Amino acid sequence: MSTRQVELPKKYHQAIVKWSERFLPDYDFLIENWDRFFPRDPEFRLCAYRELGMCTKIECGDMEGKPKFDEAGKMHPKQAGHLLGAIRAQASTEFGSIQQHQLTLARAQDEEEQVWILRMMAEELRHGYQMIHLMLEDDWSAVSDHSEDDMVEQILSMRTGSHILGAFNIDFDSFVDNVTFCALIDRVGKFQLAMQKVSSYQPMAESMPQMLREEAFHLAAGVVPLRRYMEKAAQGSFCVSTSDIQKAFNKWFPRGLEMFGDERGGGTNVRFGLKPMKNAEAQQAYIEEVEKVVRDLNVRFVRARLPELSPAEAQGVLEQLLTDHGAVRGISHEDLVHMPDSGFFRRRGVPAFELIGWDGESFAELDDYLAHLSRHLPDAYRAGRDFSQYVEALTRVHSGETTAAEASQEMPVLTRVGGVCPCSKSVRWVAGNGSNGADDRGSADGVPASTL
Amino acid sequence: MNQAEVRIRALEDTDIGDITALDEKLGGKYRPEVWERRLGYYMRRDPDSSSVAEADGRVVGFMLGEVRSGEFGLEEPTGWIEVLGVDPDYRGSAVGRRLAERVLESFRARGATHVRTLVDEEMAGIGDFFVALGFEPAPMRPFVKRF
Repeated sequence: MSTRQVELPKKYHQAIVKWSERFLPDYDFLIENWDRFFPRDPEFRLCAYRELGMCTKIECGDMEGKPKFDEAGKMHPKQAGHLLGAIRAQASTEFGSIQQHQLTLARAQDEEEQVWILRMMAEELRHGYQMIHLMLEDDWSAVSDHSEDDMVEQILSMRTGSHILGAFNIDFDSFVDNVTFCALIDRVGKFQLAMQKVSSYQPMAESMPQMLREEAFHLAAGVVPLRRYMEKAAQGSFCVSTSDIQKAFNKWFPRGLEMFGDERGGGTNVRFGLKPMKNAEAQQAYIEEVEKVVRDLNVRFVRARLPELSPAEAQGVLEQLLTDHGAVRGISHEDLVHMPDSGFFRRRGVPAFELIGWDGESFAELDDYLAHLSRHLPDAYRAGRDFSQYVEALTRVHSGETTAAEASQEMPVLTRVGGVCPCSKSVRWVAGNGSNGADDRGSADGVPASTL
Repeated sequence: MNQAEVRIRALEDTDIGDITALDEKLGGKYRPEVWERRLGYYMRRDPDSSSVAEADGRVVGFMLGEVRSGEFGLEEPTGWIEVLGVDPDYRGSAVGRRLAERVLESFRARGATHVRTLVDEEMAGIGDFFVALGFEPAPMRPFVKRF
């Protein structure tokens, strides 16, 4: 394994540094204290990494076996358009997650967990940098009217509420969100990166290995604190409860499912050789992995609550709780963490705006469903704009004012209001209302190719 | 056990529970906090090299290590194999050898020119395992001072 390190042209590099000064204000602290927190780890460097020696033949799709594309201009315009949409979406998520994490970073109860998240944020900044590298290194003029400056400026102007994918438009309410986001949403990121590692566009494929290495730690930065929270909760801590964790799962898991795109889609990406799996297949693999995370969290809880049990006895208690939904040795079914049903609280994909409950139950009345949601979602989240927009859209769908498909496609549309310099901190793209009118069925990440 | 049923892959965050359980099976102690910290370390440092063997959806073996330079005056990039565990039910299935092949290949790809490890002489079979992989005794000797 060897990598090539690439720095962006100075003005774009400086634009990202400026962005970080505003949205990642602890970046300098992290770099200055790197050796204290991560002794002997290689120094962090803000640059793009390109893996050398990767497969040069297309690995899936209609052109399998042919040489990978080293330039977007050699691709079919639809293929290149799809690809650019994915690069933009990836860039948006990387910068977007930093904005979200920053909201509650200071609320961590444990310094180690806080520094892990801070490191993760710096690496997400690098991932965004990597995507901008892909935008700038090639000529996308055949599929985009935007100049290089405009594309970079647009990405760096996005704020929570105007990002391309829904999960990145939701405010964090507590540090439980920071770690749950890492465990659930970064896990989707891992799947996307792993699929893009076989991309028929060689620069994309070469960008993935280093990002995947870093993403492995991002997942651990979520799962390890969650495991520790389960132990504390089992021991009766008043600082965190399994109910807090459950509600955070309920908030993020539906958004994670939607990041794979509509369950009926993804075929275009496979045909184009951009990803090896359709949406539903990748989503199912994700669900199975989250099931394992949840089971491990529950084992951690049972072992901490009943340390006198053998491993087999603890597994037996867990099985009984999950089967009977009752109480065993002082632990109730509600004390554990559970996977929400895949149709719960959805706004995109097959079950979008259906009244499906947390446990898979169906609701006939909208008010009953909203009351159900209010019991299963965090209080602070329900008081925010994302939930109110969902309720408003759900109400319109169930009154017949709009269709679920139309409501699903409503997402922020950025409108340029002036300015040319990507180094400026001023917002020159604003989020408007309305639909982009695109159908995301063909995209594995829910990003319409036509958003540019 | 059919060897083909065992899959060797990179360490993942979802392996923490299984490795904790396997460690408990091997050593008799339940130490989740140790493995959360230790696996967090390897996933931060080098998630590609550290490897697990998976069978029937659970981890039946693991080998953890990383490439470092400058340890004990050894300036050359060195792959260090630091932790190894194989489920007794899967011993004799070449799980350890297959894990080592993956780890060593990853070390080589990361630029390591040597691979080193320390073996407790009281643990019968471990030294033979490494000799069978092509390791040979090194002139460095471990020293310990007890408090």
